[in-house]
Amino acid sequence: MVDRMGTWRRRHVLAGVVGATAALAAPSILRAAPSGKPVRVGGTLSLTGFLAQTAQIHKIAAEIMVEEINGRNGFLGRPVEYVLLDDQSKPDVARSLYEKLITVDKVDLIQGPYATAPILAAMGVAQRYGKVIIQSSMGIPKLQTYEMAFPATPFGPNPEQTYPNVILDAMASLPTPPKTIVILTSKFPSAQFMAQGMRTQSEKRGVKVLLYLEYESGNRDFGAIAARVKEANADFLWVGSLGLESNQVLEALRKLDYTPKNHFHLYPAPGPLALSPDGKNALCSTFLEPAEPFMSRPGVARQAAAYKERATKANLPYAIIDAQAAGMISEWQILEAGVNGAKSLDDKAIAAFLKKNTVDTIYGTLRFDGPYNHGNAEQLIKQAQGGQWKVVWPTKYAAPGVKLIGS
Amino acid sequence: MNANALPRLAAVLGIAVFAILPTAGVPAFYESFFYIVFFWVSLSTSWALLSGFAGYFSLGHAAFFGVGMYTTATLTTQFQVPFLATVPAAAAIAALLGIGIGAVVFRLKRLRGELFALLTLAVTFVIATIILNTPIDGGAGVFMSAVPMPDIMPTQTGTIYVLGFAMCVLTLAIAWKVAHSRLGMGLYAIHDDEDVAEAKGVPTFRYKMAAFALSAGIAGAVGGIHAMYVGFLTVGGTFELTVPLYVVLMSVLGGSRHWLGPMIGATVITTLLYAFISGGEAMIGRAIVGLILIVAILWLPDGVVPAVQQWLRRRKAAEVEPVAVVVPVVPAAARPVGDRNILEVRSVTKRFGGLQALDGVDLDVREGEILGLVGPNGSGKTTLINVISGHFPLTGGTIAVDGVEIGRLPAHEVAGRGVARTYQIPRPFVNMTVLDNVALAATFGGPTRPAAEIRDEALHWIAFTGLAGKEDSLPAELNLHERKFLELARALAARPKLLLLDEVLSGLNPAEVDNAIRLVRAIRAQGATIVFVEHLMRAVVELSDRIAVLNEGKLFALGAPREVMRDPRVISIYLGKAYAA
Repeated sequence: MVDRMGTWRRRHVLAGVVGATAALAAPSILRAAPSGKPVRVGGTLSLTGFLAQTAQIHKIAAEIMVEEINGRNGFLGRPVEYVLLDDQSKPDVARSLYEKLITVDKVDLIQGPYATAPILAAMGVAQRYGKVIIQSSMGIPKLQTYEMAFPATPFGPNPEQTYPNVILDAMASLPTPPKTIVILTSKFPSAQFMAQGMRTQSEKRGVKVLLYLEYESGNRDFGAIAARVKEANADFLWVGSLGLESNQVLEALRKLDYTPKNHFHLYPAPGPLALSPDGKNALCSTFLEPAEPFMSRPGVARQAAAYKERATKANLPYAIIDAQAAGMISEWQILEAGVNGAKSLDDKAIAAFLKKNTVDTIYGTLRFDGPYNHGNAEQLIKQAQGGQWKVVWPTKYAAPGVKLIGS
Repeated sequence: MNANALPRLAAVLGIAVFAILPTAGVPAFYESFFYIVFFWVSLSTSWALLSGFAGYFSLGHAAFFGVGMYTTATLTTQFQVPFLATVPAAAAIAALLGIGIGAVVFRLKRLRGELFALLTLAVTFVIATIILNTPIDGGAGVFMSAVPMPDIMPTQTGTIYVLGFAMCVLTLAIAWKVAHSRLGMGLYAIHDDEDVAEAKGVPTFRYKMAAFALSAGIAGAVGGIHAMYVGFLTVGGTFELTVPLYVVLMSVLGGSRHWLGPMIGATVITTLLYAFISGGEAMIGRAIVGLILIVAILWLPDGVVPAVQQWLRRRKAAEVEPVAVVVPVVPAAARPVGDRNILEVRSVTKRFGGLQALDGVDLDVREGEILGLVGPNGSGKTTLINVISGHFPLTGGTIAVDGVEIGRLPAHEVAGRGVARTYQIPRPFVNMTVLDNVALAATFGGPTRPAAEIRDEALHWIAFTGLAGKEDSLPAELNLHERKFLELARALAARPKLLLLDEVLSGLNPAEVDNAIRLVRAIRAQGATIVFVEHLMRAVVELSDRIAVLNEGKLFALGAPREVMRDPRVISIYLGKAYAA
């Protein structure tokens, strides 16, 4: 009984000590949370219009990052507020809204919009007002001519040269490397840009280009194109596709009883291609997938889980973190690093810091000291295996046991 | 201050305020926002010049706008032409494109309505494909960041604003001028009934070409300026369907037949689109904008401006008694018929494929004469009226009016040579008031006169036909009797040498017929020469100096009324035994 009473007393004393310690520590915890006037970061996304579906991914990623940053110390101890406007998928509207953010709303900092045309429209405004702009989805780096514009995705300064060689290196590693190639591309600027690079690099490396075809962006009827692809019967089919175009190309080929030997797709909708039987062993560009070694990078597992939860709640068709969402996460990581590194919200100071330093992001360590403020190219290759995307090249990024499968 | 001075003063003040905005130190966003408003005002107003005024509904405005954008982009980036110099070039090339399309499609009557809309849409795709597959774009897009902007204003945004504003003012000035000119009047008539417009003397082909060139040219110039605003052009972004859809929506909301309508629509819609830009309300905002537009269009199907005009007219009508012009009673005594032939029809034939509608008709009508044209249904009476008035081209033979050959002339030139006609079923211009209907006929059918004189002339014939007090009414507000008389007033306002009346008495009750007969006599008493097609034999006998009977496309009988009526052959084929008895 005495013992029991002693136990009771010890428990209560211990609880009292813990409680008192917590009470004493509380002010210091409160001091760590960001406070004061919020730092307002303005940006637009194409929340309506033809780019809306992809912009939703960016919006969710941005919200996750703003919460994450505010959960740390905000920007310089102040909470971060994301002032998000809808550019309606129109570059002219994007331009006017960035002017609104800067000259009327007087935001402290800006973030880039989604897609090349709105980014270029916003970049002009940023340049006129001397603002740092970070973007993640401009596939033609040479157009980023503003010295305070920074890429959040590691395309490298010349992806039209570097990435085709990554692909050709992967192909060369196969037991039977392809000797001929068919290049098929949408006339969408960033896809066409890469396709032309692919043609040049293939010819340089002795892979014979049997057919180079361009189709109009938004084309739905690939019957005639498929017939020519089948007739060429190359060892490797490279498709500069967007959205569902790859599925449509492969379906048209299937109707002709033709299965391409090896096939690569540039920017397809990830879910439909991986899940389609036509997409078996399809190769595709990526920068990150929710697997090792990427998940071991700091914070990625948490971000991937948060993204999955929110994307599922928002009824997104593909609720798994990929390069689109990662691009926006990287944008915020770079901005946070720039502000913390410069210890200032001054755009020039942030830009100066970023040019001289590296930043650890979801994509790994990025630097911005090369042409067009780009660093190393880190474009990878993933393959649809068993209905899932798996990074297969370069091999150092492949998960244990995952290998590139050839025809 | 008179009633016109206030709007003018407001317009001048408005222009002055907007012109100095870039120097007032307002945030650049407002310059950008107003630029976007100016952009849509110019684009939708330019669309309305052809599609609203003339009724040629185009879905291809993106083609002209896009041609303008790419003209400026190509000239500035590939040929280093200064930006400002490219804007007139953009307008010229877009206008030439419009003229080229118009030269083909406006010659074909079947390419009206939805076919014209689809054709213009197809043109957009063709142009986009050409630009996409040539070095003009090639698929890579055109980046214009290196193109220098002229220093018109202290900032780039200010300069773009001023250019957009100037374009907007110029566009509205052109629209106002067109709406208040012969061209505008002709286009409105084309909108309502192109065939009748042509018959009333409107050179429809030329006017449509002018409207198309203006519409396309303005869209091209707007595109040229907008290329600099956007900075990066892609074919997909330039030739997208939202451009024609927006301009149609804006014009329809404001009122596409009024020069100011598209401006109201464009301002309202652009402002609404910018009212819901916050990331949290984007989708709901779009839905609200859509709902507002649906409600507005349901409640105001003709647009905001016409609705306001209608309301003002109703208020005015309630307050002010209509001023009836008193016309002296015209003596009903007939002038003697002259010896000179006003109309000479020689061996006229008209075939529709295998059908011989007219087969070698010879007919003279003397000055001041009333010739009754009768015959069974399908005998060729209305066809003869149609070939004389130029509505149908001749297959063979000649037709001369007052000694001048008109058989191969288009209808508007026939009208210009003094031939006016009415229609069996009245075909007034339904969106024009009674006064405007008659004034149009006086403008295009008669000699060139000042506007005030034309108005007086129109009022005279309105009163003459007993329509005084109905000047501001729309044709839909008239009964059949009044619409028939409106047909007469329009025909008379052209001061014709030859008046062709097609069953002007059909559908009237006996009292109205008596009234109409008196009116035709009064017209004839003023010296008009009349050919009138009629089935009502009492009127034919009472009015005609001679009667011509057509049967199976041939002149069957011709002579004095009593003689022709007694001709057994005429009784057999047309009048029947009952009438003979």
